[in-house]
Amino acid sequence: MSEKPFFIGYAAVPTALRFVMGLVSALLIGGAAVLGYAIGHAQDDPGDGAFRFDYGRQTVTGVIELTPLPVMHVIEGSEQIAAGDTLMLSGAGKNGALPRAAALDGQMAQASGVLLQRGEIDMLQLRGGRNGLQAAAGDGTTPAPVDLGHWKLAGEICDGKCLAGAMRPGRGISHRACANLCIQGGIPPVFVSTQPVEGEEFLMITGPGFSPLPEAIYDAVALYISAEGQLSRHGDLLVWALEPDTIEVLP
Amino acid sequence: MSVKYTPVQWNRVKYCYDALLVAGTILFLAVFLPLPPEALGHTRPVDPQITNARAFGACAFVMLSIILMIGPLARLDDRVLPLLYNRRHFGVLTCLVALTHAYFVLNWYFAFSPTDKWAASLSANTSYGQALGFPFETLGIFALLCLLVLAATSHDFWLKFLGAPLWKGLHMLIYPAYAAVVGHIALGALQSQEVTTFAWITAFLSLGVAGLHLAAALQARMSPDPQAHAVPDPAWREVCDVTDLREGFAQIAQLPDGKRVAVFLHEGQISAISNACAHQNGPLGEGRIVNCLVTCPWHGFQYDVRNGQSPAPFTEKIPTYRVRLKGSRVQVDPVANPPGTPVPPVPLSKAARV
Ligand code: FES
Repeated sequence: MSEKPFFIGYAAVPTALRFVMGLVSALLIGGAAVLGYAIGHAQDDPGDGAFRFDYGRQTVTGVIELTPLPVMHVIEGSEQIAAGDTLMLSGAGKNGALPRAAALDGQMAQASGVLLQRGEIDMLQLRGGRNGLQAAAGDGTTPAPVDLGHWKLAGEICDGKCLAGAMRPGRGISHRACANLCIQGGIPPVFVSTQPVEGEEFLMITGPGFSPLPEAIYDAVALYISAEGQLSRHGDLLVWALEPDTIEVLP
Repeated sequence: MSVKYTPVQWNRVKYCYDALLVAGTILFLAVFLPLPPEALGHTRPVDPQITNARAFGACAFVMLSIILMIGPLARLDDRVLPLLYNRRHFGVLTCLVALTHAYFVLNWYFAFSPTDKWAASLSANTSYGQALGFPFETLGIFALLCLLVLAATSHDFWLKFLGAPLWKGLHMLIYPAYAAVVGHIALGALQSQEVTTFAWITAFLSLGVAGLHLAAALQARMSPDPQAHAVPDPAWREVCDVTDLREGFAQIAQLPDGKRVAVFLHEGQISAISNACAHQNGPLGEGRIVNCLVTCPWHGFQYDVRNGQSPAPFTEKIPTYRVRLKGSRVQVDPVANPPGTPVPPVPLSKAARV
């Protein structure tokens, strides 16, 4: 032991310790600023998906197709949505549109709500109740799906809504639980392919033979995986009937 | 001799300490939160809720790392002891910051769903069998619960109520909590980030915490073990040679029951007391005698070295030990006296003093 200054909290701080304490304080404050900046600055780009509130409410008419989750092939567009577009549909929050769309398969309907957009991916978040989706007059038929063959793809399973911009970022492992909740709630799941497929990066996914996705896929959501399935084009939307047994988690 | 005694209550150092804590925390958040998307090269901003969750989460992790570095640093260099002084406030603030992180996550990722958000936080991801995609939220919840328990029992009331050994044991929960936090980050945020800065910072801080603990443990091992020369009479344990003693300071030795004794030299007389402070088990033998009283290096509790009692009006008591001199060797009776038992100090004979 030496004659080192001895610190007692309630007594005056020894002069020799003052310098050390000043230094430590400066280090802590400086460290807080540096770390705050470094970590804050190291955030990945969350993508350009967004709710397009700036477009205002969009109301369109078209044919509903259940894949089994509902999409609308637009026949009469709006300012921002062209005729011929295929829209994925969702309710508010993590609620799908299936309960309202189930009775409208293959029929004309009017959909109204706010658009979510990210690149080529479009989703309409419907207003509540019949204001959001109701049967409409007019003629229209579901465009015949075009079979594009069996594909093995690498990429990530996401929920279509957060990915399209309901959350930024709306993918990745941090967001995994949220994506599971969305998919459980009936939001259409989407596959983000690492390589463009038929010119597109995003595909809507279903279970084999257009069945609902089985629960087994929840273990693979938000991971980098490869899987196989039958690919088809529905309107301008690619739909991939993913076979859960073929899922492999990639490093 | 005048006895001026103030317990661990609010004082200037504490105010400064807390001001520093709050300033550091606010600065971290104030630098992190307002970074505009252009500065980060993003087309659109990250959701404010997610930015908040990230900022508060990262802040809590950094704070927890610093808290855990203080202990071993203070053992390695006693100039760091002032940081230990008010560490409990540091812990409580960290708990609040972590709670804010959880609040933003819960009300964003787990909200808007038909499933209740509290239930969803446990049920949305149940892939416990895999490392990638592991429900890292559960690790965070565990750590947060630990922090809440520690913050809730941080007051001296609980220390008294539970007793120092139990209280200390409970507060060891901080280690599993920290391990869970590191896992929470490693399996969560770090898995979905392409920019690796945060990964490096996480590795640096967590390895720093582990490394400092290792270094402090190694140092404690390397310090000479007085039991190396055990006395033939097994009833008494040898502590040191009288030449090792210095006026106002102690020599510490471990007794067969695992407890430590601190042997002080005060006004030319030898006395032995328990090394564990009645407050939070602080190492009394690493303190020194100030104004005739042994003063704990952690929060400054004081004891009369001859009877293990705090000066009136305080009532803390610690066990004392009987001491004797065998030639120039200092020995203690390893059976502790009940706390507060007076023991006559043993004068150093002129011959024995060097
Ligand atoms: S004064 Fe707090 S442990 Fe001794």
